Amino acid sequence: MPGRWVTCVLATVLLATACGGGTSLPGPAVVTFPVSALGAEGQVLVRQLARFMQENPAIKVVQRVTPDGADQKHQLYVQWLNAGASDPDILQLDVIWTPEFAAAGWILPLDRFMPDTAAFFPSTITANRWRDSLYALPWFADVGMLYWRTDLMNHPPATFDELIQQAQRARQKGGPRYGFVWQGARYEGLITTFLEYLGAYGGRILDGGRVLVSSEAGLRALTEMRDEIYRFGVVPTTVLTWHEEETRFAFQNGEATFMRNWPYAYPLMQDSAESRVAGKFAVAPMPAGPGGTHTAAIGGAQLAINRRTEHPEAAWAVIDYLTQPEQMRERAEVVGQFPTRTALYDDPDLASGLAIPPAMVRRIIEYAIPRPVTPIYTQLSEILQINIHRALTRQAEPAAALARAQAEMQRVLNRAGLGTGEPVAGR
Amino acid sequence: MERQEARVAWTLVLPAVLTILLVALFPLLWTVWESLHLHDLRMPWLGKPFVGIDNYVEAFGDPRFWAALGHTAFFAVTSVGLELIIGLWLALALNRAFRGRGLVRAAVLVPWAIPTVVSALLWRFMFEGQTGIVNSVLVGVGVLKEPVVWFIHPAAAWVPVVLADVWKTTPFVALLLLAGLQNIDASLYEAARIDGATAWRQFRHVTLPLLKPAILVALIFRTLDAFRVFDLIYALTGGGPGTSTEPIALYTFNALLQNLQFGYGSALSVIVFLITFCLAMVYIKLLGAELTGGKR
Repeated sequence: MPGRWVTCVLATVLLATACGGGTSLPGPAVVTFPVSALGAEGQVLVRQLARFMQENPAIKVVQRVTPDGADQKHQLYVQWLNAGASDPDILQLDVIWTPEFAAAGWILPLDRFMPDTAAFFPSTITANRWRDSLYALPWFADVGMLYWRTDLMNHPPATFDELIQQAQRARQKGGPRYGFVWQGARYEGLITTFLEYLGAYGGRILDGGRVLVSSEAGLRALTEMRDEIYRFGVVPTTVLTWHEEETRFAFQNGEATFMRNWPYAYPLMQDSAESRVAGKFAVAPMPAGPGGTHTAAIGGAQLAINRRTEHPEAAWAVIDYLTQPEQMRERAEVVGQFPTRTALYDDPDLASGLAIPPAMVRRIIEYAIPRPVTPIYTQLSEILQINIHRALTRQAEPAAALARAQAEMQRVLNRAGLGTGEPVAGR
Repeated sequence: MERQEARVAWTLVLPAVLTILLVALFPLLWTVWESLHLHDLRMPWLGKPFVGIDNYVEAFGDPRFWAALGHTAFFAVTSVGLELIIGLWLALALNRAFRGRGLVRAAVLVPWAIPTVVSALLWRFMFEGQTGIVNSVLVGVGVLKEPVVWFIHPAAAWVPVVLADVWKTTPFVALLLLAGLQNIDASLYEAARIDGATAWRQFRHVTLPLLKPAILVALIFRTLDAFRVFDLIYALTGGGPGTSTEPIALYTFNALLQNLQFGYGSALSVIVFLITFCLAMVYIKLLGAELTGGKR
């Protein structure tokens, strides 16, 4: 009996797979678009897609709900694309995935559609190039910024020394118990924080195929992060388990003088129903150190096309529409996401819509640098995350941690045929 | 006639055998085959060359692999050890007749019924930050002078991990042992009492030997589970700080799904499989010896 049952099931499964697929319906080209936009962001997108479909009746856009977390979304995409599915036609990519997906041959080069790349901030375009082709178009930009309390000081700190002094002074006057909070848990956010410290001292993570973290600048940056925790007591140890939201909660409850975070936090903290610091804070570029400059890690969403799509033209039409100035302005007004088109910042309409003064946004974006543009970014980042976190939790000394990170990262790069550095490069 | 019957029998079991091959053996062999290749989804230009045992050599030369293996063994020994001791104690308590026993037995199972990820988050909230309930209580009682940030200390981070696992799976162990206890003939205790055996001697010489098969079954289930621990640590510490609490399953998951190293990740999976398989074999041998030993 069980045997027959199994045969039946097997036969059904085989039949189903044999008959499925290959049935294309006549009518408008249907393009699917997996998005994880919640709340106001989701509503803006629904509105914009509805307008698009009204203007382009030959194309129907269907939204697919995906997980919000970057890692989960990445896994889902990998499963879809590795299986050669043609189904999600349009992909919303995190900025660090573009080279990975491009190298794997999962997304279409966009050059044939002749996008006007000169209209976008150069750093947002660089992040989406792989081997001389453009693979995704920047939809909106996220940049790391310093949030500071306007009721506790007159001007934001320009350097880390100044930041430490201001934080200590604020605490002595009975101000917030935490000086500075940032994303310090062992995850991608830690790398964005580190990148900004590194840039402040003039360092870089990668130069072409050479890993550069184990450098004078790298050591100074990591030592500064560690000293702010253990020597100056400005950064609480608990940030080493914190992501974006934990830092925002601390800052909006008035428990921190400074915070490093992305733009999304700004409109949320202006809501006086939830925030105790509404109207009492502003943003500035992250501080600089000697030998470097203000630096902002760049994040945000990119739009790309699945290489297996059956409707590349329709997919491009959607991407092109969503990245037009009007759509970007609307997003900026409703959810505070920064447009990636340079010219919009001179637009008076944007100034009234954006919570943060456009001149300041523009200044921060101009300090923005992408994280290393390489298909094996996630692996390099993982090595760096582990070693930086080890140094910050005092399991290793900064110099040793950086040397180890450098050696491992270079080894991985070289094995991928992407490296040009020594196999085991010490400091 | 007999041969014909045998043929009919074979045809009848064939679908079942095929299904087993398809769902159990095929993925396993496929993984082994993958593990002998350099296969990295992010680097299609490297192709998918056959590299023999290179992936295994790389794993054995990788300090992170050995560390992960060590963490897994440490986790298995401490958590299963504690679960067994507390589970036995619970089972002995539940084995006595008292009012409301049915209710208590059901209540004991509550942690077991909660999904692992949920209980992991629960424990995370309790231990997290300087104001988490654990810190508040310990500082309030005076055990700690100041709050500890549990998740940034390589040793302290194990405390919530082990506690969460013990909390969740002790009821399961207790129930298994309780079933064993109820199989023990009450007349044995009577005889022991008549012979003047103390409670401790009854436990040592009657309960423990007769409970051995149940203990072994509990050990098999729990050790194998502990060796494959993933979701609990993924949600609780993410393997951190650094990689101080990273078990082998989490490392494999990272290699496969985060870094898309299908060849290397498959090699790690095969190693995990071999270890758990050997463990199961050892236990089954022990259990078998125990059962036949009991019959003798």
